Amino acid sequence: MSDTVVAATPKEVMAAVIAHDLRDGEWVEVGANLPVPRAGALLAHLTHGPNMTVMIAMTKAYLRDEPVLEEFEYITDVRAMRWAEAYYRHDQLLSSQRRRARGVFFCGGVQIDRFGNSNLIGTGPDYHRLGFRGPGAIGTTNATAQSGRWHLVTTSHSPRVLVDRVDYVSALGYGRGEPNLRAEVNLRNPGPSSIITPLCVFDFHPETHEARLASVHEAVEVDEVVARTGFAFEVPADVPRTAGPTPHELEVLRTRIDTNGSLA
Amino acid sequence: MTASTTGSGRRSHVMTEAEATALVSDGMTVGIGGFINSGHPMSLVRRLIREGRRDLTVVGAASAGLEIDLLIAAGVTTKVITPYVGAEGLAGIGPAFRRAAEAGELDVFELDEAHYYAGLRASAQRVPFNPWRAGLGTSLVEVNPRLKVFDDPIDGLPLVAVPAIEIDVCFLHAATADIYGNVQHEGSAYGDVAISAASETTVVSVERVMPTERIRAAPHRTTIDGADGIVRSPFGAHPYAAEGSYRPDEAHIREYLAAADDWRRTGSRDRLEQYLDEFVRKPQDHVEYLDRIGLRALLGLNEY
Repeated sequence: MSDTVVAATPKEVMAAVIAHDLRDGEWVEVGANLPVPRAGALLAHLTHGPNMTVMIAMTKAYLRDEPVLEEFEYITDVRAMRWAEAYYRHDQLLSSQRRRARGVFFCGGVQIDRFGNSNLIGTGPDYHRLGFRGPGAIGTTNATAQSGRWHLVTTSHSPRVLVDRVDYVSALGYGRGEPNLRAEVNLRNPGPSSIITPLCVFDFHPETHEARLASVHEAVEVDEVVARTGFAFEVPADVPRTAGPTPHELEVLRTRIDTNGSLA
Repeated sequence: MTASTTGSGRRSHVMTEAEATALVSDGMTVGIGGFINSGHPMSLVRRLIREGRRDLTVVGAASAGLEIDLLIAAGVTTKVITPYVGAEGLAGIGPAFRRAAEAGELDVFELDEAHYYAGLRASAQRVPFNPWRAGLGTSLVEVNPRLKVFDDPIDGLPLVAVPAIEIDVCFLHAATADIYGNVQHEGSAYGDVAISAASETTVVSVERVMPTERIRAAPHRTTIDGADGIVRSPFGAHPYAAEGSYRPDEAHIREYLAAADDWRRTGSRDRLEQYLDEFVRKPQDHVEYLDRIGLRALLGLNEY
């Protein structure tokens, strides 16, 4: 490699944040059409996750010996079968919730709010006449309830997505900050760990459960984050820089995981 | 039935498309298998539309694709039970689903995929509901009054009761079957087995009907061992993929999407009606449909 490494893109930084969080032995789903969580999970698998269980396109896959991990546009893409150690029948997968305790989940949202709730149902005051009908909960209600840990991820850092309060809750974060809400409704994990965006990472205050700025990505100013976020948040006196990809991680991303440039 | 019987008296389950759709009456609950851009029994879906079925409650896959969107667009259904209707990268949300929901013309049974399987399981087990842990504290239990919160009688924990999703007839698509209703999927089979188990009657369209000896050579691959009907339907999932046979026809899916999205954006159904006429209503059967798609396009959909 030349020493003039092209700087990491915001999506590559997001993928690195995801990869750094994942630990060997954890179970992670690689959904289709979600290039950032896909790249993050695969980066962890290739760099430090030989014992991770990687679910890709309805299969269990071990990919460390593959030179290039072709990206699939569809979760049903049959080409993933070449790597399969098992096919997952979807109904059986959903009956096996115990394994999710070792799982880490990445949840998107049409809206994501200050208390880490996500909305994929839609927007507008009248549920029966939504102004925007979203895709539906898919599997996010359950995955965020049963996974060992989970994060919120959006590639669109805007006041329209990052709102003070979601119109509908399809994945429960911390509600409105009630102290023991998640335990009271019988959920298995303590709540979302962070919100990962193209500008920054938010974590959640351990007592108030409000999102607060944890780090900003390279070349991002705090003012820009404030201007593009639809909720008020606490800013520490010294805002750390997000740990982006190392040169080695960037090379792995670009030569083995994202050869199509989905993270560009 | 066109079915012949063998000398032993064992009955063939092979039926025509028309015999399959005749099992469905207006107002029934119909399940449609597959997963997003793969494995939908499209020859049967198109025939339901062509024959003018109305007021069906449609149970889509845990992640349904545009086959459900098409049924909404064609006015076959105003009630859908599925946690997702869309086409992933081709369209995040089905345009007709979105249009009908935003207009207040669609009853969406709002639920997570885990609830969906709990509901199918309850139907399969012939109990009124199955419990599930997740969903409390979300809007699902508020906007969908059919999901009930209750305290479980064993530990007293709050849980969600998902009512049984009882299906009159389900249509699935798989790689192969024999004439006796022994079905073998390629690949994952998605949620098809659970849909079948929740259904009173199961009809499976298949790429190929195989001799029973071939099934007996690999009985561990049989996914559904008692389909009531088997319909011969090569390229029967087109324009969606069939695992083991062909990939999605993206150009054709985009053609549908453009037509349906035009309806969503402008309110004019002209382009949508044109699509429905061209590919759904005018072809009198699956073979005529395939003629319209053309051999060259079909043979271009190899897997790799």
